[in-house]
Amino acid sequence: MIRFEQVTKVYDQKSKPALDGVSLDVDRGEFVFLVGASGSGKSTFIRLVLKEDRATRGAVYVAGQNVANIPSWRVPKLRRGIGVVFQDFRLLPNKSVFANVAFAMQVIGKSRAVIRETVPEVLKTVGLEGKNNRMPHELSGGEQQRVAIARAIVNKPGILLADEPTGNLDPTTSMGIMKVLDKINQNGTTVVMATHDDDIVNTMRKRVVELRDGCVVRDDAQGIYIGETTTTAAAAG
Amino acid sequence: MRFAFVLGEIASGMRRNLVMVVSVVLVTFISLTFVGAAGLLQLQINQMKGYWYDRVQVAVFLCVENSTSESCASGPVTDEQRSAIEAKLNSPELSPYVDTVEYESQDQALVHFREQLANSPIVEAVTAEQLPESFRIGLVDPEKYEVISEAFSSEPGVDIVSDQREYLEEIFGYINIASLVALGIAVVMSVGAILLVATTIRLSAFSRRRETGIMRLVGASKAIIQLPFVLEGVIAAILGAAIASCTLWAVLRYGGEWLSREYPQMGFISTQELLLVIPALFLLGALLAGASSLLTLRRYLKV
Ligand SMILES: Nc1ncnc2c1ncn2[C@@H]1O[C@H](COP(=O)(O)OP(=O)(O)OP(=O)(O)O)[C@@H](O)[C@H]1O
Ligand SMILES: [Mg+2]
Repeated sequence: MIRFEQVTKVYDQKSKPALDGVSLDVDRGEFVFLVGASGSGKSTFIRLVLKEDRATRGAVYVAGQNVANIPSWRVPKLRRGIGVVFQDFRLLPNKSVFANVAFAMQVIGKSRAVIRETVPEVLKTVGLEGKNNRMPHELSGGEQQRVAIARAIVNKPGILLADEPTGNLDPTTSMGIMKVLDKINQNGTTVVMATHDDDIVNTMRKRVVELRDGCVVRDDAQGIYIGETTTTAAAAG
Repeated sequence: MRFAFVLGEIASGMRRNLVMVVSVVLVTFISLTFVGAAGLLQLQINQMKGYWYDRVQVAVFLCVENSTSESCASGPVTDEQRSAIEAKLNSPELSPYVDTVEYESQDQALVHFREQLANSPIVEAVTAEQLPESFRIGLVDPEKYEVISEAFSSEPGVDIVSDQREYLEEIFGYINIASLVALGIAVVMSVGAILLVATTIRLSAFSRRRETGIMRLVGASKAIIQLPFVLEGVIAAILGAAIASCTLWAVLRYGGEWLSREYPQMGFISTQELLLVIPALFLLGALLAGASSLLTLRRYLKV
């Protein structure tokens, strides 16, 4: 589903590359944690999948297609096949929960009837039944992230990219979000989640790809992650 | 759905950006009014040319008692001189240039004079003897005035040869200058309008960067992302064009009507000429705003 071949990304000639010769295969229906310290290149990986940036060297394939060969007018189509969630939710503050999710369908020209049918279903999937008319500021952080996830999957993408989706949430709420992501993955969506939350990684027992300074240093099928704090402590000790 | 969505986006964008939108409307209004004025003045010149060039005549005035020119040194025109002039007008050398010749006697001159200056107290004081008799010559080509002027200006018994076209040219010259000034103002104002549209669209894009960011991520097409912004600029410009059109209409309707009453023979343009100018104003406004918005978006809105 996602394939990186010797991908290097250099933002700035003077500093070292954000990704350095990364090769990685993510199959359809997989759940992958992308872990690593701050600055290790996790967000860069996600940006390359979305063709928000182009790889300096190497090739990025999404659904079998080399993204470098997708002309700019076809990029929207690529992105329709990929859902994204971020640490900061990125909801529209003046739109209700329903309207926030519906927005993602409106802008790609879905009919009102389809929207009315699909949005409540998706809100149910993420556990937000009955909160259709709430405004974002009337929701907890966990609920806001659920709205963001609903928006990301409402157009039924094959891939869901999550960049530290639990970064702003407490551990209990985070586990709730993980359940939602797991459910989405069970329904067949490939999920790639960047995180440095070791508790979550260790609880979920999914595939773990660890980046360090832009290189893949570990790729375990049912891995664990020893987070920065521990690593730093170990280094210091 | 998409249509309704774009309309909704435009409405919310314009509401958020109301002050800027109003300034765009006003600036395009002013600039398009001047564009329109320049256009109308040119139409006025054309209309007058068309109307007057067929009617202008060269007048060969004959000597009267008080004439001061050299060729009148021998006093008022004599019968022989008059016949000689008439013969020359009909001669084979001049006839290719001459279309019509009318003789106007002193009595007829007085009648015309009284008609033109009715209500004026001078009329009573003027007698037929003070007005020159004349030959009124319609030319085949009104530009060939020189031929008649050269042939008759030193002819005995001829006081002056006057070309009515000269007065017209002078008037056209003034109208032309007015039209150029209007055009100059229009150009300056249009540059202002273009820059203002650019700024407005930039602010609008900035204030809606969250929405456009999300639109990008969920795969909205470039057209759907940009259209609301472009239309926002275009709609504001079209509103400006509408106000400009109303203004020009009012000026022509009331100002033009008044002028036509005061100077009935001048052939002023009427509100009908607006049918030519108004579509041009709308088109120009929409094009300028559309182009300016698109160029701005290319720089400030990532898609
Ligand atoms: N737009 C950019 N321009 C220049 N350098 C960048 C840019 N984005 C990222 N970088 C650099 O690339 C490297 C990797 O950044 P990236 O955002 O991928 O890290 P990350 O693993 O997501 O970190 P975090 O956990 O803090 O989000 C960093 O050194 C960062 O400074
Ligand atoms: Mg990051």
